[in-house]
Amino acid sequence: MKAQLEEIRTRALGELSDEADEAQIEAVRVRVLGRSGELTEIMRRMREVPPAEKPLVGRLVNEIKNEVEARIAQLVEHRRREALSRSLAEARLDVTLPGLRMPRGWSHPLTQTRERMLEIFEAMGFEVVETQDLEDDFHNFGALNFPPDHPAREMQDTFFLPGGMLLRTHTSNGQIRVMERRSPPLAIVCPGNCYRRDELSVRASPMFSQIEGFMVDRAGVISMAHLKGVIAEFLRAFFGPDTGVRFRASFFPFTEPSAEVDISCLLCKGAGCRVCKQSGWTEILGSGMIHPNVLRAVGYDPMQYAGFAFGMGIERTSLLKLGVDDMRLFFENDLRFLAQFRAGEAAS
Amino acid sequence: MKLPLSWLGEFVTLEADGEELCRRLTVAGLEVEAVEHLKPAFLDVYTAEVRAVERHPNADRLSVCDVDAGVAGRYRVVCGAPNVRAGMKAALARVGARLAAGAHGSGSGRIEEAPPLEAAVIRGVRSEGMLCSELELALSKDHEGILELPADTPPGVALSEVLGLPDTVLDIAITPNRGDCLSVYGLAREVAALFDAPLRQPHFLELEAAPAGSERDRVRVRIEAPELCPRYAALPMSGISIRPSPIWLRRRLELCGMRGLNNVVDITNYVMLELGQPLHAFDASQIREREIVVRRAERDSAFTTLDGVERRLNASDLVIADRERVLAIAGVMGGRNSEVSETTTAIILESAYFEPASIARTARRLGLRSESSYRFERGIDRAGQANALRRAAELVQQLAGGRVAAPLVDLEPRPAAERRITVDLGGVAAALGTRLPDEEIKRRLRAVGVTVTLLDPNRIEAVPPSFRPDLNETADLVEEVARLKGLSEIPAELPVRRAGVLPPNRDRALARKLRDLLTGCGLVEARTLAFVAPEDNRHFPSLQASRPLVVTNPLSSELSEMRASLLPGLLGALRFNLNREASAVHLFEIGKVFGEMDEGARESARVAGVSFGDYAYGGIGQAPIKSGFFTVKGILEACLSALLPQGAVSYEPIESPQAPYLHPGRAATIKCGGELIGLVGELHPAEALRLEISAPCSLFELDVTLLAVHSSKLYHTIVPPPRFPAVRRDVALVVNKTLAAGEVLKAFWTGNAPMLESVELFDVFEGGNLGDEKKSVAVACRYRSADRTLTDEEVNRTHTGLVDQVARKLGASLRS
Repeated sequence: MKAQLEEIRTRALGELSDEADEAQIEAVRVRVLGRSGELTEIMRRMREVPPAEKPLVGRLVNEIKNEVEARIAQLVEHRRREALSRSLAEARLDVTLPGLRMPRGWSHPLTQTRERMLEIFEAMGFEVVETQDLEDDFHNFGALNFPPDHPAREMQDTFFLPGGMLLRTHTSNGQIRVMERRSPPLAIVCPGNCYRRDELSVRASPMFSQIEGFMVDRAGVISMAHLKGVIAEFLRAFFGPDTGVRFRASFFPFTEPSAEVDISCLLCKGAGCRVCKQSGWTEILGSGMIHPNVLRAVGYDPMQYAGFAFGMGIERTSLLKLGVDDMRLFFENDLRFLAQFRAGEAAS
Repeated sequence: MKLPLSWLGEFVTLEADGEELCRRLTVAGLEVEAVEHLKPAFLDVYTAEVRAVERHPNADRLSVCDVDAGVAGRYRVVCGAPNVRAGMKAALARVGARLAAGAHGSGSGRIEEAPPLEAAVIRGVRSEGMLCSELELALSKDHEGILELPADTPPGVALSEVLGLPDTVLDIAITPNRGDCLSVYGLAREVAALFDAPLRQPHFLELEAAPAGSERDRVRVRIEAPELCPRYAALPMSGISIRPSPIWLRRRLELCGMRGLNNVVDITNYVMLELGQPLHAFDASQIREREIVVRRAERDSAFTTLDGVERRLNASDLVIADRERVLAIAGVMGGRNSEVSETTTAIILESAYFEPASIARTARRLGLRSESSYRFERGIDRAGQANALRRAAELVQQLAGGRVAAPLVDLEPRPAAERRITVDLGGVAAALGTRLPDEEIKRRLRAVGVTVTLLDPNRIEAVPPSFRPDLNETADLVEEVARLKGLSEIPAELPVRRAGVLPPNRDRALARKLRDLLTGCGLVEARTLAFVAPEDNRHFPSLQASRPLVVTNPLSSELSEMRASLLPGLLGALRFNLNREASAVHLFEIGKVFGEMDEGARESARVAGVSFGDYAYGGIGQAPIKSGFFTVKGILEACLSALLPQGAVSYEPIESPQAPYLHPGRAATIKCGGELIGLVGELHPAEALRLEISAPCSLFELDVTLLAVHSSKLYHTIVPPPRFPAVRRDVALVVNKTLAAGEVLKAFWTGNAPMLESVELFDVFEGGNLGDEKKSVAVACRYRSADRTLTDEEVNRTHTGLVDQVARKLGASLRS
């Protein structure tokens, strides 16, 4: 019986060569280890074995069983690895082909600029309030201390609507609208569209957008020094920390004193070039201390309260920052232009 | 305002250079917009006296002149000018001289390129130089004759010196409040204040109380409209001889952008430019009874101004008249009938203060904006009338040989109101944010002509000068101090911050979320004009019933209404891109639309989108997904699921009049809680044809205000995930083809099956053996209980019951 076992072993291991295919392996497994396989047969015939040899034979059967099982497992594992590496090779992709194109859009450069500006003001503690585009004469002009015969009130500059209404010519109406219903202290920015009777051209558009900002507090608490501080802080945040800021006296009906604000020319860094007409400066916004008549118009006592205000054009500021000089680009919506803002370039 | 520095130099002497002057003026509120450096456009040209003129032996129109240029030599010059005569002073270009404009103005205009003048033999006579016209000297376009220099010009002096070249002319932007700076003297006053330099006065003629002259020469003035003319002064002068002004005077007019005409008119303009007071000269012989009447024009009367145009006047216009007829539109333009002409020998000079608003109204209505009306509009010196006349009289005497014929008439029926401003010095410091020495505040104010009196240690009384109508209260004076000191001297400080949290701005948050969602779905944000053509509003009416808002004074008929919808603008942008070879255009816009309601003009916020062409790409070898109704609906479903309560939104087939621009079979209303909040659909083929859009294009528009209302109801009740499994049962129902799939789902939801957790549509099938009238709708129902695992048996019972209910309700049969 021992000899018979040795023969089973030799034959099985011989047949389980490295080249054995799956069928051969399965055949060996069934013949040797199967329910009616060779080893089962031997075990059934254990009765015939002399008692003294029984442990020996039993051990040998187990040994062969383990050996064949191990060899089969080894071969199966081997085959599986081969199959895997074959399938990996077959499944190889050209990873340089493009991925699926997921639809993705982005916001308009004017939105990007506006949001960046508002973000800075919000970080400085200003509250964003949007007010109406359709205005009356009082909120757009009268309360802002425009004299009755001011040319801006004429048909050639302002769009008029039925019922004595007009399209606001600036976001400064925001000052009046907010102050009328609220009390100081106020720190407000009002973004929005404005309208003036200019043809759409390289330089101008009949519709454009502005941000008006103002701060009102008790007289003595708020001063021209704060106007300078806030504006310079904003401009350096928006245009970069090295931006030069210059204030020069000017005139607006709704501020007194008034100041135009220039920044060092973005192109020549103040050295003087064609864009800044050799001055080294570019006009960026208008500002001033809120005129006592404006405070009176909203029922604030100018002896009690003081404030400053400023306003800037978003299109103009964007053009300056982007280094392009055609207003029409913003309203044509040419995708070849807009696509250049897919990463929020106008807000960077 | 053009400011020649040579003229400025008559009133103030500066040590600072031109660049520093420009910088200081600019930061003080007088922005120098341009600087023109004038250089002579000639070299080696001298003043000379024409000693003798002889007819050219071989040419009738030429003269041979003996020209004496003093130390520069004596020459024989052939000249063709008609005005050349013995004894005149002229400009001589010697051989070797250079003329940038060239002889007869044929040169390049660049002195470096001009060839030296050569001696020439003209019709057999040698010419050793050239007597120059203004054109040849690049002084003006005048080539009628040679330049005649004043009789007292010494010969042999460089012409550039006589003409005051080189010179620099500043172009200064004058803000509307600074009418006082619309003159050379006014600017000199400002420069003197800025640089702490002394200011020299112009020379004013002393008027004798009773000049020689008869009663006949006197002039009378009657002011019938003192509300429009608070002051009127007139000065009669006689013995005038009208001729061209001297070159220096004409030069200055031209440097300031005006043209010379004759000595008297030029003097009135000169004095206006110098002092800022507009003057007018009437031919005295044309004024009946020598009486001037200042009155309102008669209603709808006609008057012919100097330029020969007949103007219609009305009672709000102020005119200067005599007893019979109108002579001038006050402050705006004189009349033909009393114009100074070559034959004038006596004049009446007018110097008045007219109400700015009245002049502005008249000038604007007539479209007549003159140098004079411009200054009256901005407000001239309230007390400068007599001095301007004295200055003009001085010049008329010098340059036109005239003399004062009768006493000055100076009426002031309405004296200027007195302005006294009490200034709290501490308040000035508080407004500026910096403490200035009291002495400095007073010094700065005095420098611009303010009379300052100390009331007590903390307060001063300030009386502004007559030429500064813009100074009325403390804030105005604060500006003067800040401006003169320089705004750069005021410190920049950040206000103290309050630590409070800003209130939330929900509209802004919603707009931002919408933008993020739509860009996330592949749409690019556009910005279009709010002005549209009436046709646009007709084709794309508002979501809400409103009439188009019409602009009273539009730029053009194409931009004459305010948009009622964002769609025309977006479709315009689509077309713009299609015309530039774009094949995929997906745009959205968030903006305002406008309309007229019974209660007036209204604005409201909208979001809209258009989608055209390939939307998504399946990778190499895969067909791209073309945009269509379901693309845009899918985008909206994705976006609205992030904004509105779950299950609140429904899409229902559109009724045709609701949106004529949408494909009637491929459009839906979007409702939230039963309220219409927007529309989605494909562009109507007829509309696409009209707009020349070749392929299907899908659109949507939503009312952002309503979206805001409904999105504020968005809240979440968070529940743990279910602990027991769901059981799915599919069923296919055969229904009428026209039945909307949404109705099938609705029938399941409204059926009696509390365990039903979800019902989803997964297939719609037409054709096969179903016939033309029917379709099969397959749905998957999921059943679940929160507290146990459902048995097959109870699910089957519930499902069969539900399907029976639905089938009965819809008249459907089960598909086998």
